[in-house]
Amino acid sequence: MGDIVLSVAASHAPGLAGLYSGAPEDTKAEVDKMYGTMGAEIVAADLDVLILVGNDHLANSRVLEYPDFLVGMAAEHMGPYEWFKPWLNCRDYTLQGRPEVAEALISGMARRGVLFVGRRENLRYDDNLSIPTVLCDFDANDVPVVPILMNCNVPPVPDQRQCYAVGEALGDVIRNDLPNGMRVGLFGSGGLSHEPGGKRYFFIDQDFDHWFMDMLEAGDHHKLLNEATPERMEESGAGGTAELFAWFVVLGAIGNRPCSRLGYTAYDNFKCGVGAVRWEMGS
Amino acid sequence: MAFEQIDKTLVTHDLVQDLKWDAELRAQFEADQVSVLDRYPLKPEERTAIDTGDFRKLYDMGLHPYLGGQLARLMYGNAAGPDATRAVNRLIASLTGEERPDDRTTA
Repeated sequence: MGDIVLSVAASHAPGLAGLYSGAPEDTKAEVDKMYGTMGAEIVAADLDVLILVGNDHLANSRVLEYPDFLVGMAAEHMGPYEWFKPWLNCRDYTLQGRPEVAEALISGMARRGVLFVGRRENLRYDDNLSIPTVLCDFDANDVPVVPILMNCNVPPVPDQRQCYAVGEALGDVIRNDLPNGMRVGLFGSGGLSHEPGGKRYFFIDQDFDHWFMDMLEAGDHHKLLNEATPERMEESGAGGTAELFAWFVVLGAIGNRPCSRLGYTAYDNFKCGVGAVRWEMGS
Repeated sequence: MAFEQIDKTLVTHDLVQDLKWDAELRAQFEADQVSVLDRYPLKPEERTAIDTGDFRKLYDMGLHPYLGGQLARLMYGNAAGPDATRAVNRLIASLTGEERPDDRTTA
């Protein structure tokens, strides 16, 4: 019986590493505060495993054969993948994996009717894992990680309700299938508003971002599930904002918990609204 | 661009994925784009759109925008900062028809 002892979610915009040095000072301070807080709390949580759910970004599978959820089963996760290095401009890292946890997640989700595809080799990681790793110092602090890379933009995309339901099943697996006393953290990686590859590439929908985080803080999951639709996500950034569905997996896994935002900033050149939240998990 | 406009069978998707995943192919593409494109069964208008950097046409044919953004970086520059900014601006200029300087960093 595993315990979810920590849950956070945050943006992973590549500019947070590659374009950080040119950002305004107040933006840098907000970024430092958000990711520094998460990093410190992740270390303090003394996790046996951090399960990170984030957009795959078409990095690991062809469009014609795209899985909705891909689990990294390797004993070590190394990144960033070579082609993304110049674009991310962050340090190389090696993270401990937890193959036995990855196997338990895949098997447990299958028993609950959810297909999690797994690969034993190192996956190709871009900003999805790399940005949280280097900003929260997972590597320096030996945080063991199981990455779950998901489909946020290859149709048909699992929507907010499907992702919430997947999260409910994931929470059930953690609580009932993982070893007794295992300390588990959850990290929803992605968002907020952005439109990569679109004609509004530099657009950040700050109204949407605050609306979304306000709803998280209000804790009304019924309203969230009714209103944070794929259509609403597309309005605020086609093909990008929908990676907030990763946050719905976390929401489903933990249920209704008090949530507070750790910060927010909107800097044009990041091409993405950048925010972070933390849920209170209690004892 | 709405998800339903994406044509999942478009060969350009495989081209972009291969270029990301194969450093040797990418080096060939940088040295001789024509010889690499010749190996892919692209539709004539798809090939012309790549040759001319016409992303509007590629998107109209169903190119996934995320891979469109990556194709722009493969063609115009992939490094954080001025390289990738140039790629983004040229992509937006093609999609919207507006004039954009290569170093613009705002909407």
